[in-house]
Amino acid sequence: MPTVLAKVYRRRTDTRAFVMASCLVLCLALVTTAAAASGIPAPYSPVVIEPIGVPSRYEFDLSAALERARRENKWLYVYLGASDCPYCRRYEAFLEQNATELVPHFAARYIVVDLRSALSVTSRLLFIRVGDRVLSYADFQRAIGDERARMLVYPSVWLFDKDATPLMQMPAGTGTFQTVPEQLEILRLEQ
Amino acid sequence: MTRTFGWPALHRPGTGRRNSIRHALAVAGCGLALVLALPPARAAEGGLPATASDADSSPEWDKLREKLFASRTVDATPGTVQIIAPRRAAYGASVPVRIVSKLPQTPSLYVKRLYLLVDKNPSPLAAVLELTPDVGQADFETRLRVDEYSHVRVVAELSNGQLHTDSRYVKTSGGCSAPPNRDALNLIGKTVLKVAEHVTMGEPNAAEVTVVHPNDTGFELNQVTVMYIPAHFVRSIKVSYAGRKVFDADLDFSISENPTLHFNFVPHGRGELKAEVEDSIDGHWVGRLAVP
Repeated sequence: MPTVLAKVYRRRTDTRAFVMASCLVLCLALVTTAAAASGIPAPYSPVVIEPIGVPSRYEFDLSAALERARRENKWLYVYLGASDCPYCRRYEAFLEQNATELVPHFAARYIVVDLRSALSVTSRLLFIRVGDRVLSYADFQRAIGDERARMLVYPSVWLFDKDATPLMQMPAGTGTFQTVPEQLEILRLEQ
Repeated sequence: MTRTFGWPALHRPGTGRRNSIRHALAVAGCGLALVLALPPARAAEGGLPATASDADSSPEWDKLREKLFASRTVDATPGTVQIIAPRRAAYGASVPVRIVSKLPQTPSLYVKRLYLLVDKNPSPLAAVLELTPDVGQADFETRLRVDEYSHVRVVAELSNGQLHTDSRYVKTSGGCSAPPNRDALNLIGKTVLKVAEHVTMGEPNAAEVTVVHPNDTGFELNQVTVMYIPAHFVRSIKVSYAGRKVFDADLDFSISENPTLHFNFVPHGRGELKAEVEDSIDGHWVGRLAVP
């Protein structure tokens, strides 16, 4: 009898270990996939900007991207995404799925800039630097005349010329340009 | 109010409550393109195509037109009235809209009434403005809540009975369920009138009236209690100058919080610009401004 119990116990232990190991592998796979999926997809050749000053502040420096825009005579498509924001993932997935069609339109006129943030980064913690000037989110928005000063929304997109002047007022979120024709409307600055 | 948008309880998948709230938001209203961001699809939420043109009709408009104007002809030929709105506004809860009249207000022929509509809103008739020739120029500007992709329309009724219309297709969502700004509840009803520094007698002069008011739609969620905030909005604004009516505005919650109307008026001498305000729970307020 003890032998039988020992066998059952061993089998259960093995099964439990197997299940746990499987879960661990699955979780790691999911984490890896999520991490890989976060941010603007590679075909858009994004300039990824990580924040500095973390965790007391999240400062994103646009200076180098603007300098490059001046050199290449292009505009900036600045995307602010959050690592834990499902709506960011949706927009990024949309970009990924339609890369073949969209990338040439982006590449012709824009340098895509990917600001990496998180939902916990509120407007008080988020800062934008352009050259020597650093402004909090709301002050930055007010300075450029963007109506979205009132609320920080993830994801957000700005379109800038090489002097960091907004090309048009963008909506909060990306939900109104998650179809190819609508994304193209945005790139064409249709208002 | 400063917030980041995610997804509070509203966006966790799978529960009946979540579905019912989502449905309420979808039907109701309006919001955060952000919160209700659309999945990658070719058609816009609400069934209207992403490529609808400004001049298109909609099933809602067909019904509204019949209710409001019966069999009367509503002329969409450009040239009498124009509506100007962005294709995409920063926030669905605050879409700037400008009505431009091409017709001078004269006693013999003038814009007598303006209807402002948002086809897809839960309450599509946002405003009805009863005008007199004393507005001088029937141009108005305000901000609207636009719940989802929708046409925004103006219908101008002339004093001779003719109806003229113009429309604009606006892409936004969530205007009616956007988290309310409740920073100044102690000031509810405060009515402020403004005019330009130099007022010209006998000519149309630009002016504006603003009422501090949350203009709650009934579809907004209290972020703390997770209960819907009851509807409470400005019902009417009556503007007069020196005792003479300039215009009366019947309003609905499709007007954004802190309702503001930019308008014109023609002063014929010193007087007082006065705005009488009434809200949906019988609040009454008056704003006054001596001119010049």
